Amino acid sequence: MGFTKEFNARTADQKGMLIPVVITVYEDRSFDFITKTPPAAVLLKKAAGVEHGSGEPNTNKVASVTKDQVKQIAETKMQDLNAADVEAAMRMIEGTARSMGFTVED
Amino acid sequence: MEWTAVTVTTSSEAVEAVSYILTNEGAQGVQIDDAADFAQLKPGRYGKNGEIVDLTTIPHRTSGAAVTGYFQANTFVPELLPTIRQRVAKLRDYGLNSGDNEVTSAVVDNQQWATVWQKYYHPLRVTNELTIVPQWEDYQPEQDQEKLLVLDPGMAFGTGTHPTTKLMLMALENVIRGGESLIDVGTGSGVLSIAAKQLGAGDVQAYDIDEVAVRSARKNLDLNPVAADVKLGVNSLLDGIHTQVDVVVANILAEIIVPLIPQAFANLKPGGHFLVSGIIDDKAAMVRQKMVDQGFVIDSETKMGDWHGIIAHKPTEDED
Repeated sequence: MGFTKEFNARTADQKGMLIPVVITVYEDRSFDFITKTPPAAVLLKKAAGVEHGSGEPNTNKVASVTKDQVKQIAETKMQDLNAADVEAAMRMIEGTARSMGFTVED
Repeated sequence: MEWTAVTVTTSSEAVEAVSYILTNEGAQGVQIDDAADFAQLKPGRYGKNGEIVDLTTIPHRTSGAAVTGYFQANTFVPELLPTIRQRVAKLRDYGLNSGDNEVTSAVVDNQQWATVWQKYYHPLRVTNELTIVPQWEDYQPEQDQEKLLVLDPGMAFGTGTHPTTKLMLMALENVIRGGESLIDVGTGSGVLSIAAKQLGAGDVQAYDIDEVAVRSARKNLDLNPVAADVKLGVNSLLDGIHTQVDVVVANILAEIIVPLIPQAFANLKPGGHFLVSGIIDDKAAMVRQKMVDQGFVIDSETKMGDWHGIIAHKPTEDED
């Protein structure tokens, strides 16, 4: 419960956003944590203005995002992605978008 | 509660997409284990004070990545697995190298998490007078003035080890002289009400909006005979409470304390004390200002780590 309280306090300004966290728990039950950028899927849904991605991304396309939006998300998430450069990060975001049934437009 | 964990082994490149697939299929949360995260760490660089020096002592992946999604017990996971496998395999079509794509599932017992930490929770002298004792420990006071708070924290907040609880226990020790009436807003485990009674408070009322917390508080009050007469109930802040008391304590969060400030002012006798905690650094000035605007006089503010505790009082007529 200590974690829940501290997490809520630290992320109160991002209410409604899904915030990943890396938590380090020590043997005496104390802990540290750092918050990360929201998941790519959450940022993509926000950029496309839709609430849900598709469950059948091949056949059911539900939204589209532009390359610029993909780039913006890649840059936002760059600090948390294991990507060598922005281009690699963009490929990850674009692949995630397509797997959600989003089309990516130039 | 039981959970089913579905783990997909994949590559760094596909962790975001796999996370989406798992949440889209109903996972309540996902966990990412990526060897690349550890590859970047160097001894002494991790943690606020570089506490972790030997990375080999931490279990972690040494290659690739894995994403684990946690599904509630009412989800029939075996039915989902083929769909998840199929969707993960398709990631290659979207330009993602998704690694070996192995999908496995396992049942996780929440009870184990709830009890495994017990071995690290021992009697703790929190303030000069107050020592918190886990219910399962047999402990005798070492000094005459030492008072025991026996707790089974369960799932509610307030093990006494968190800075915000410590700040409140110290504040109570400062303010309680004997016989004071008190309201504990957001009682959680009930720790503050028990402490107040141990320090000599008179009538104590404890409220929490969360029924789980109230049940947990009931259990803890029963473990401490001194707190047997604490009036406990489910209530949102001080809504509908009209008694005037000597002390109001609240260890909540800044956002919740703000609407409580005018209520606490109304529920306090002139000269009565308002003790608040749960205020993180960047909200402290705002909360303090709201209290002053309401008419409270700030007596002291104590900081522990990033957390602030404030002791204030409602002025008497002579002070006005």
